[in-house]
Amino acid sequence: MGGVAARRGRWAVVATALGLLPVGLLPLGLLPSAALAQAGGARMPIFDAHLHYSHDAWESVPPKTAIEILRQAGVMRALVSSSNDEGNQMLHAEAPDLILPSLRTYRTRAEVSTWARDETVIPYLQERLKKYRYVAIGEFHLFGADADLPVPRRMVQLAREHNLFLHAHSDVDAIERLFRQWPQARILWAHSGFERPDAVRAVLRRHSNLWADLAFRSEQGTVSNGVGKVESEWRAAFMEFPDRFLVGTDSYVPERWHYVGGNADFSRAWLGDLPKDIAERIGWRNGETLFSGKLVKKQ
Amino acid sequence: MWQGVARGIVSGASIVIVLAWVCADALAQTGQLLSFSQSDIRRIRSLGPWPPNLPPDPSNRVSGKPAAIELGERLFFSAALSGNGSMHCASCHVPARTWTDGRARGSGLSELDRNTPTLENLRLQRWYGWDGANDTLWAQSIRPLLDQREMHSSVAAVARTVRQDAQLASMYAKTFGRLPGAGDERVLVNVGKALAAFQETIVSARSPFDAFRDALVAGDLVSAARYPEAAQRGLTLFIGRGNCIACHAGPAFSNGEFHEIGIGYFITGSGVDSGRHGGIARLRSTRLNLLGPYNDDRSRKAAIGTRHLREQQRNFGEFRTPGLRNVVLTAPYMHNGSLATLCDVVNHYSELNEERLHADGERILKPLRLIADEKNDLVAFLESLTGVGRGAAPAERPAACGATVR
Repeated sequence: MGGVAARRGRWAVVATALGLLPVGLLPLGLLPSAALAQAGGARMPIFDAHLHYSHDAWESVPPKTAIEILRQAGVMRALVSSSNDEGNQMLHAEAPDLILPSLRTYRTRAEVSTWARDETVIPYLQERLKKYRYVAIGEFHLFGADADLPVPRRMVQLAREHNLFLHAHSDVDAIERLFRQWPQARILWAHSGFERPDAVRAVLRRHSNLWADLAFRSEQGTVSNGVGKVESEWRAAFMEFPDRFLVGTDSYVPERWHYVGGNADFSRAWLGDLPKDIAERIGWRNGETLFSGKLVKKQ
Repeated sequence: MWQGVARGIVSGASIVIVLAWVCADALAQTGQLLSFSQSDIRRIRSLGPWPPNLPPDPSNRVSGKPAAIELGERLFFSAALSGNGSMHCASCHVPARTWTDGRARGSGLSELDRNTPTLENLRLQRWYGWDGANDTLWAQSIRPLLDQREMHSSVAAVARTVRQDAQLASMYAKTFGRLPGAGDERVLVNVGKALAAFQETIVSARSPFDAFRDALVAGDLVSAARYPEAAQRGLTLFIGRGNCIACHAGPAFSNGEFHEIGIGYFITGSGVDSGRHGGIARLRSTRLNLLGPYNDDRSRKAAIGTRHLREQQRNFGEFRTPGLRNVVLTAPYMHNGSLATLCDVVNHYSELNEERLHADGERILKPLRLIADEKNDLVAFLESLTGVGRGAAPAERPAACGATVR
């Protein structure tokens, strides 16, 4: 327990402090990591790379409540997508310093298995991209040969035209196909594909523009009496690719917004078993490096 | 007709065919037996026998002992165990209501967030409570005594009650070999163990389904054919296309594990019931688990599961699969009592909201898209799990789930 307290003491809390700053008036990305880290406090900040704020959350977890949850959890920034995209915009309007919007390819989550064959998705994406700014397209669910269907191909082109990340909930096959379509694509691999760490490492070796989030996964670390431990195969993956992993919650139902804080604490605990520099990279620096500054506030 | 049916049932089992031939007339008189494959029969066999022959709980040295059962029964109905003397276990676990309270969410000294589960067939469980926050029935029996929203007592108060009540103290001594000692926690745990010994005796009666299952397994097609045809069709769905048996498995119709099935888990106010996620945390943090000092099983065999438990992200919002025996008598349903009738439950699975399911969560859950007749058949099957002599009165029976009324 004492170890955890000591580790907490080493890290700066930035999210709480950010709430006191008028950053909503600034273009995102103007706050460098160093400034963030100096904001003072006890907890390591968290970059939550996998949140949703879909229609069923808007009433039960209103935007103000959602933002309060993030700030209380010490989340410094969050990559958020929603079905439909209005949720994203509401949340971003509430806290432009905190929310990095990603554009989903479907309007209701029920389209998760049909969007890749739905040609109406493309004009929807185009309309939203014309109207709002995003850092990514996704999270979308795309597997195997479906990645080469016309709609996903056009989606990749749009990401290319707008210089956006792809947040792909995909198997290895689909990831490979996406890279074949656009070798310079930058892909955030949702849930690290639910692959074992050796398989994740193999794909990361092949693609330097691939990053992997750890949302809805728990096997990478355990926490007992507040002290975290990283599983050995995952430790090897993190040591080999310290710049390629991010943590996330995945609020696929509104109730899981109430798990943001718990997941942030869980993440801090198991990350605490890694060297401090690597823990900080996975916990928040990688997210900041990848996404901050990619979104200029649209007036 | 019967010949075709019999062929379907017994392919590869000539002895059963002979039996079916002998009983042809009787079969025609009793009802129609649907076609069940060998695979079907294996699955149906797995849902029995009933009642099971279970050994005493090794973690509880007084499990199955008559003196403990007697003490446990007395404690169960004793309001002296509650903080203000106003409640006993049976206030919520009402025997005449199949050991539930008929409410959506329980009500102790204040309102609760979860549905009051039946106490039938507890000996078959591995984890206790909707969240599995206890790994023994005796520890689970202690929980409501101390919960301030339920009976709101304390370790010291429970121990004091047992010490000061001459009859309870005497029964305690008869059960545990000595009068309640000075250690409050030990006395409390023994109260839990006596309560568990009593509750282990609460077992559902045999149901029409059990008679059918035994007859089918034994090749007694005449007796099997007495099982209502609608229930047979419902059973076919249950073990087949519906795949309900994947979770509602075994003689108690529960795999004893935890799942998120698309039921919301917000609670009153703005919070959530984290379900199994919080349950694991509580189980790991208590001394009253199988890893603790009160486990009477020196082999610690059953503690292995507890030792390796860790909260997983997926556990957030998961709740324990309930058993289905006497299910028609234990409405309303789900961890929060949010579904009033069995039809509502069947409709839930029929029209499952996939938006609430994680793409890598409960992969077997798909909307069943049942037609009205299929829903009614499924409910007929569930009704057939009612213990003989415990049939619901007509007014209590669920309405038909669709246009077809039997």
